[in-house]
Amino acid sequence: MTAKTFAVYRKEIIDALRDGRSVFAIFVFPFILYPAMIGFMSFIQSKNAEEARGLSLRVGMVGEAQIPGLADSMRAVPGVEAVHLAAAPARLEDANVDAALVVPEGIVDQVGRGEPAKVELLYKEADNRSSQAAERLQPVLDQVRRSLTVAWANSLGARAESPPAFRVEGRNVSSKNEMGRFFAALLIPYLLVFLVAAGSMHMAVDATTGEKERSTLETLLATAATRGELVLGKTLAVLTASLTGALTGIAGLWLTFNVIAPLFPGGGQRSMQFVIGPDKALLLLLTMIPAAVFISATLVAIGCFARGMREGQAYASYFYMATIFLGLGSFGQQNPAQSRFFIPILNTALLQREILTDTVNMMHALTAIGTTCALGAIMLLIAVRLFSNEAVLFRT
Amino acid sequence: MIQVSELSKTFHDRKKGDIPAVRGISFTCRPGQVFGLLGRNGAGKTTTLRMLATILVPTGGTAKVAGFDILEKPAEVRRRIGYLSGDTKLYDRLTGRELLEYFGALAGMPRIAIAQRLRELTEPFQLGELLDKRVGRMSTGMKQRLSITRVVFHDPEVLIFDEPTAGLDVIGARTVLGLIQELKGKGRTVIFSTHIMTEAERICDEIAIIEQGRLLAEGPLESIRGRAASRSLEDVFVGVVTGAANGDR
Repeated sequence: MTAKTFAVYRKEIIDALRDGRSVFAIFVFPFILYPAMIGFMSFIQSKNAEEARGLSLRVGMVGEAQIPGLADSMRAVPGVEAVHLAAAPARLEDANVDAALVVPEGIVDQVGRGEPAKVELLYKEADNRSSQAAERLQPVLDQVRRSLTVAWANSLGARAESPPAFRVEGRNVSSKNEMGRFFAALLIPYLLVFLVAAGSMHMAVDATTGEKERSTLETLLATAATRGELVLGKTLAVLTASLTGALTGIAGLWLTFNVIAPLFPGGGQRSMQFVIGPDKALLLLLTMIPAAVFISATLVAIGCFARGMREGQAYASYFYMATIFLGLGSFGQQNPAQSRFFIPILNTALLQREILTDTVNMMHALTAIGTTCALGAIMLLIAVRLFSNEAVLFRT
Repeated sequence: MIQVSELSKTFHDRKKGDIPAVRGISFTCRPGQVFGLLGRNGAGKTTTLRMLATILVPTGGTAKVAGFDILEKPAEVRRRIGYLSGDTKLYDRLTGRELLEYFGALAGMPRIAIAQRLRELTEPFQLGELLDKRVGRMSTGMKQRLSITRVVFHDPEVLIFDEPTAGLDVIGARTVLGLIQELKGKGRTVIFSTHIMTEAERICDEIAIIEQGRLLAEGPLESIRGRAASRSLEDVFVGVVTGAANGDR
């Protein structure tokens, strides 16, 4: 390193370290933000697990009498109501069960003769209740394995040279459509939030802090427009950018799943079909608008507050990360409590998930949209107040 | 007309406490005259002009600009003023036409009036080549012409110029001063701040000398020269400012 290079390096470091707010944003804020975000995620996950444990599930049993103690074991699983079914159901919904354990007729003799046999737990990966039932019944499946192993050993003796030919396993009976819908409900709300925040971040900072940095602010403030009109105009522009970001993102996803993915036959197209009708696409867009207003107004408020582009971008990127974490919070939520619909971003992701899975709860929808609209209006007022505050606008 | 009455501004700093920038100044600028606000850097000129443009809110006193109180009717004031500061920049990514249309719209001009005003100003301000060129690709002189056009685009009654020649070369400065004289000829009220005495001597009808937020002298240029018994405004200025400084000691 030459002396000149070092001189430049030293000057840049001094310059950065003397910018107090940037130092706070870069070195201190992460120690507040990240623990808060991780704490929030852990809280949501523990609540999800608690809610999952509290679910009452109904499980069907076919041929359970062939394995001694199986029915009792099934009934002993907490939160599981085990009912006898005469035959394996064609669809779980038809039998009104969340999962079904199917023990084929004559399986003990079959295993004893060394013939292949299969015990199946039918469940739907695309259905949270059904997946939960499959998870809870794992110890019962282990018990079935043990019982059949004993039956096999009793008939063939310890000298048997081949391992038992039976299989005890879960089988996902979700249709391609159901799987597609499940993954769409998982990913799309999160991606929409992510795309809206990404699409608006740069523009919001540029339209507000950029005016200060480029020395165009004074001229703007001396025009006949009120501060409210100026902030509203800027927020609408940022909102347009954010919704455009979401729309182009959705278009990109559609292209990926419908045009590019089928070109690779080994991909997920075999097991799922990713189809969103125009009605759902419209609902997704409509529910995204209040969230986009909230995100845009918050980013504009951040831009009004920041002294310079560096500080503004640092704050905006932390807000962006917070939105990503809130979006991620929607993952794994079984039957989210009403209180979750008061949390911005998370509520939109959860509502969109309900839209995609045809499980919309009107109270949830009203709470999510009402809360987000109210918070968007509050953030807009804060942005106007900051833009009217000369101590904030002219500080250096 | 601008009537300033006991106007004050105190900034608050968490470490330094209260910092008075302007301390109870009063003066009047009449239509068809150029009023020069003279002072050293940091004397309070910019703060005064920002208050008149309603960018900053006074902490004491008030002013009437074009008949409207800056505290009670700031939007009406802004509708009637043109404001140009020496360190003000333009939007690099807009063309000259887009920029003028933008500020015309912010001034509340209808679209037809904006188009008509563009046609009116194209020749006198030599805008032809600037209208469809992006600001970022313009020379300093071109930007200056565009800035001046922006200030007068909505035909304001009152013009506030805060060190408008700062950073300009001789030709650019002459253009700005020429415009100010032209506006005076049209009966507009012009207030103009500078620390360049020759500029003030050339175009001002009345001047006020401001130092540490206080108005030390005010009146017609000739009367102030007469009072100081000096033909040079620079000598007058130095005498007034240093006299005040000695008095403070």
